[in-house]
Amino acid sequence: MVNKQLTRILMMVSTVILLTSGISYAEELPPLTHKLTAIKKLIKVPNLRLKNMNEEIVDIKDLKGKIVVINFWATWCPPCRREMGSLERLHLATKDKNVVVLAVNIGEDIDTVFSFMGQVEPSPSFPILFDPDAASMKDWKVRGLPTTYIINPNGFIVYRAVGGREFDHPDIQQTILSLSSNGQI
Amino acid sequence: MKNIILASVIGLFSLSCFAETIQSTHIDSATGAGTWRIHAHGVSFSLTQILPEQAQAFYVNRGFTLKQIESYTSSCVYMAVLRNDNAPGTIHFIRNNWSILIDGKPHSLVSVDNWVQKLTTDNTKNSALVAFRWAQFPPEQEYETGGDWNQGMLSVGLPSGTQFDAIARWDIDGKAYETKLQGVRCGK
Repeated sequence: MVNKQLTRILMMVSTVILLTSGISYAEELPPLTHKLTAIKKLIKVPNLRLKNMNEEIVDIKDLKGKIVVINFWATWCPPCRREMGSLERLHLATKDKNVVVLAVNIGEDIDTVFSFMGQVEPSPSFPILFDPDAASMKDWKVRGLPTTYIINPNGFIVYRAVGGREFDHPDIQQTILSLSSNGQI
Repeated sequence: MKNIILASVIGLFSLSCFAETIQSTHIDSATGAGTWRIHAHGVSFSLTQILPEQAQAFYVNRGFTLKQIESYTSSCVYMAVLRNDNAPGTIHFIRNNWSILIDGKPHSLVSVDNWVQKLTTDNTKNSALVAFRWAQFPPEQEYETGGDWNQGMLSVGLPSGTQFDAIARWDIDGKAYETKLQGVRCGK
């Protein structure tokens, strides 16, 4: 009886480690691609007003004039974890080129996200916003995690990606940076 | 000679059609959990079993108690992946249109909303429910060609040891498509 309980506890602990590290299923998962879907009919950016890690309010309206990459994610979502490092590399490569990378965490607290950040290489330095009730998902028509939108400087959603991507791929970087000169696609 | 070439072309075409929809199965030697995969009409579909202990660990870590999540974790849970690799257009699906067949007879899937309702009690943490809702395979979704995809949990509501077929259905501009994973088993 004791052995059975001990085995169960050990299995649970090891599973927590595997699931939270995202390693267990990595070889089973589809490869991340680098294609963004152009939105045929431009969508005006929905409202988004959430707290960041410092508990300061960030309003997406204040980012008009910039290209915004906004990613909806959670630490327990394996493809979200897989693409997080590439979002940071995109941020580092484009932060001086009028591009803002934001990630909206769904349903988790600051401590959980903070401890996850230390496991990502390179560790994200772009703003993380918190949506504890997943209230923004309806406004942004997010049906699954991760989902990422690219917003042009005029405040319209112009690209979408459902599922994990390699955001530091040159094709994606080029697509995003081209919005700087065009204003819109 | 002409006939030989024609026969070869037909043979190769048949082979490529067969390869297009071939199903593969992989059993993890460490856990015994199976993965069933198929690629059809430019879409990949797979189910990987999440063992009850794995599902329990995941949800306890998200804030459920073992008692709260027991009905779900013991209902034969899979990690479902659907991906539009190179379908001829945007695929759209409603998960409630998918089917589970046991010996050819349909078995209803419990919807995500119904699961959330079942798991909502006065003592369930809101953060746990939010994680539960968004960890499930989407009830409805659209994937553009070239790599849109999701993975999420899917409960089939069957006891361990049950063998079934799973049919995923989607449409492209109203034209219906489907693919079937055969002989999927709920591991013990």
